[in-house]
Amino acid sequence: MSVELPKSTSAVLSVDASFADGTLSSRFIGTADVEAKPYLDDVVKKLHEEALRLGANKVVIDFRELEFMNSSSFKVFVSWLALVQELPADKQYRIHLLSNPSMHWQRRSLAALSCFAVDLVAIET
Amino acid sequence: MQKAPYFHLTFRPNIKLVSTVRRFIGDFYRRVLVDQEMSQRLALATHELLENAVAYAADDETEVRIEVENDILSVRTWNRTTPERIDALKATIDEMNAAPDPDTFYQTMLIRTAKRTDGSGLGLARVRAEAEMNLGYEIDQNRVCILATATVVGGLQS
Repeated sequence: MSVELPKSTSAVLSVDASFADGTLSSRFIGTADVEAKPYLDDVVKKLHEEALRLGANKVVIDFRELEFMNSSSFKVFVSWLALVQELPADKQYRIHLLSNPSMHWQRRSLAALSCFAVDLVAIET
Repeated sequence: MQKAPYFHLTFRPNIKLVSTVRRFIGDFYRRVLVDQEMSQRLALATHELLENAVAYAADDETEVRIEVENDILSVRTWNRTTPERIDALKATIDEMNAAPDPDTFYQTMLIRTAKRTDGSGLGLARVRAEAEMNLGYEIDQNRVCILATATVVGGLQS
């Protein structure tokens, strides 16, 4: 089933999401820069809320069509991971990041996220 | 001897134009550098440095220059800013350069930023760790130049 996310306020970033078999999947397309940051804040907050509400055991974030992410947008994901780390163990969910290895920033940024939350994050290419 | 292409832009940006400059820089240096990954690292560094310059500029003009000299690729941004911002920049870069391992320092910054509510504070550490560039600064009164450099691998396209 599709998951309703905040209405896009950004011309440069679009995000959709769906839920099936305990997995919340979300696809990020475009550019996550300063123009997209308010929308990204709302979307990631909503994804976290939906993951808890639906009892997801896994959240898949597909970055493969995300051209670029700036550091303030990257911080949104860092804070999200920190939030999940603080949850009781039975509420925590795993986060799988789908990466496009031809994009240097994805290899480096997603590896950094994985190091930050090594027990929560897996990277798939 | 072939002269390396360079790029110098003085502009009155709004912060939304930084992505436009990043894409142009990426395209420009994809045609200049043999190592295509280096053009991506350069684009990332330029984006982060320009966002900082624009966000903290005391007036509305910013400059960026990218060039290759003696196998060293450099990005410089210039802007005028406040004494408080200059002190903060110097402290950030000095602390970063005192840390021997860029990735370890970057992880330290991720832990710090997770609870921050005012900006990310990650841009410069990201340039050092992800774009794999060294950082420095030059201060002339209220005008600040941030310099990022890396050794060119593979040379320039003919």
